[in-house]
Amino acid sequence: MPNATLTFLNYLCLLLMQLALAAIQTAALVFQFALGETPCPLCILQRVAMFGVSFGIIRNFREGYSLKNDGMSMIFALFLLIIATRQTLINIYPRPGHEYIGSAVFGLHMPVWAILIATALLIGYAVKFAITGGDGNLTPLKKFPALARAGNALGLFIVLLAAVNFASVIVQCGVDACHTYEYRLLK
Amino acid sequence: MMTPIFAFTFAALLLAWLGRGRLALGALLVMLALSIGLFLFEVHNRDYGFRMPWIQTSAPVTAGEG
Repeated sequence: MPNATLTFLNYLCLLLMQLALAAIQTAALVFQFALGETPCPLCILQRVAMFGVSFGIIRNFREGYSLKNDGMSMIFALFLLIIATRQTLINIYPRPGHEYIGSAVFGLHMPVWAILIATALLIGYAVKFAITGGDGNLTPLKKFPALARAGNALGLFIVLLAAVNFASVIVQCGVDACHTYEYRLLK
Repeated sequence: MMTPIFAFTFAALLLAWLGRGRLALGALLVMLALSIGLFLFEVHNRDYGFRMPWIQTSAPVTAGEG
């Protein structure tokens, strides 16, 4: 396969992952503010892990492709998988103080979705590596200006989502532990 | 703890988008360390530690079995 095609496929794959992450983070904010579902601490940590995955993708678009950036994203995808699995196992047997909170989407709650999201991300990276074969045979991104613009715009949107989450966490948690039953600064 | 984590998350993403690679990476590593610490704090239980005794991994042995 020509190097230009491999480069296009590589960045297209990263763009689709970033798009999925942006959609998930936006949906999480809609559930939080439009439906009034205050996120639990582990749910907020899962958002952090997803932002970590986005970090590697942003760097790939801003500073050129590197396997180091993909490695960072995969570390956070694994972190997401660990947090989500642990939370699912905590809530899998409902008992006082421990049960799935929030709405179920297609019958699954957020931590279960997060397991699927993390697994899909790791599979996505595995397939991408299998097809493109690493960074040695890729051409610069500037040959695909539309893809570069889309990637950078999506990266900026992720930064804005992080800013909204930062403000939300300040209101919900202050400088103390987070709770699902109140916004600490709105008491 | 969550507020500093998000401060570093936001800083890491913004610096990455601005092309400040080393600073962004530094913020990301601090964010990861704090996040791991908070995760362990959140899942640790005073009575059970990190175990999950509500998950039964073996059936009780009844008469005539085992």
